[in-house]
Amino acid sequence: MTLVFLVLLSITLITLDFRGDSGVIDTIRDGATDALAPVRDLASDIFSPVGDAFSGITGYGDVRAENARLRARIDELEGQALQGEASRRELAEALRLLGVSFIGDIPSVAARVVGAPVSNFAQTIELDVGLEDGVDVDMAVISGDGLVGRIVQVSSRRAIVQLITDPGSSVGVRLTRSDELAIAEGEGANRLLSVGFVEIGVEVRTRELAVTSGLNDSVFPAGIPVGRVTEATSQPGELQQDVSLAPLADLTRLRFVKVLLHQPERVRATTTSTIPVEPPEGEEVPAP
Amino acid sequence: MNDWTLRLPPVLLAAVLVHTALAPNLRVFGVSADVLLLLSIAAGVAAGPERGAAVGFTCGVLADCFLLTPFGLSALVFAVVGYGVGVFQTGVLHSSWWIPAITAAVASAVGVVGYVLLGIVVGQDQLFSLRVVEVAGVLSVFHALLAPPAVRLMRWAVADTAPSGLLPR
Repeated sequence: MTLVFLVLLSITLITLDFRGDSGVIDTIRDGATDALAPVRDLASDIFSPVGDAFSGITGYGDVRAENARLRARIDELEGQALQGEASRRELAEALRLLGVSFIGDIPSVAARVVGAPVSNFAQTIELDVGLEDGVDVDMAVISGDGLVGRIVQVSSRRAIVQLITDPGSSVGVRLTRSDELAIAEGEGANRLLSVGFVEIGVEVRTRELAVTSGLNDSVFPAGIPVGRVTEATSQPGELQQDVSLAPLADLTRLRFVKVLLHQPERVRATTTSTIPVEPPEGEEVPAP
Repeated sequence: MNDWTLRLPPVLLAAVLVHTALAPNLRVFGVSADVLLLLSIAAGVAAGPERGAAVGFTCGVLADCFLLTPFGLSALVFAVVGYGVGVFQTGVLHSSWWIPAITAAVASAVGVVGYVLLGIVVGQDQLFSLRVVEVAGVLSVFHALLAPPAVRLMRWAVADTAPSGLLPR
């Protein structure tokens, strides 16, 4: 009898959340998040050495390999330093020619990453900013390297970001060299983004930069660097290419990010608590 | 008011803190222990189906507060898992140290698969991928290792006949 009651209660909660016309669920979620935030911060500070030690043990081989890789990268970057400024100007010029806006015009708020993904399925992070800081649902989150994700849940003092690698994430992108519009979808942690809707005849080159398309109702403003093409292949008889994209932002080591205080007009004022099943970016990209 | 209604809340609060602040940083193959699912299973082992379901539901609601999936999904799955484990446990005639560990491993895998399947039913298609196998496998090992102390904790927290504290009997 107890089980039947609890099952019915659970189904009622799911239904209420799905309908989205009840503030009860959002109030519960936001209340729990805000009420526990100070205690969780304290717990994070206490537990972080444990987590660091565990990561050191389980990832010792990776750390050594990364160390070697970073040393090689430093050498490479030192060689490229002189070219850096010229490349930035080139990128800015390319973005201007493509008709994308400059994201520096958009006001932003800096945020600290205070939480790793709680779920084993969703790729999310928690930020120490919320409604009180002007942050709201569907705002874009960036790092110094590029797009990180978008806000999917917000309370007074906390915000949850869905990373672009989350399997439910979908970003409208523009390939800068070929000028092709496409959709980059997340495939999970430490995996490349999968780019759909790239036609067979389009020449896509390795290391080609992809930026947010920013078309009409897009959640993301135009011109935010998303990633670089790592591979583009096509199978006989297929209508689309299989294109993979490596995110520019290092999503595994985020400490500080910026939330762009920009919302598309269509976004409702209320907060949301679930990842939309239908990606909002898909609406504007023409089907092949 | 029963003693267990006083003992359980601080245990659950501590579990939430560990679940949200510690466990996400202790990952193997990108998978972290689901402390609240583990406690649901442990409650079923320690206190039977009815209380296992109640604790499972409560743990699930707490988990749902920090997830983006529909609110109530974890509550539903954890309640059923807690109940199922309790039913299974009452049928076990011979007690042995490894039974809770095996039970936790199997129940964890069932819980993960159930969570994904129910998630798909309510429109969370992004949950379905090969990662389900990875998560279920790693979580089973994690929870099998953590089951003995978790069962001891829940035996203290929710069982009517409170044993002699948290120390091994």
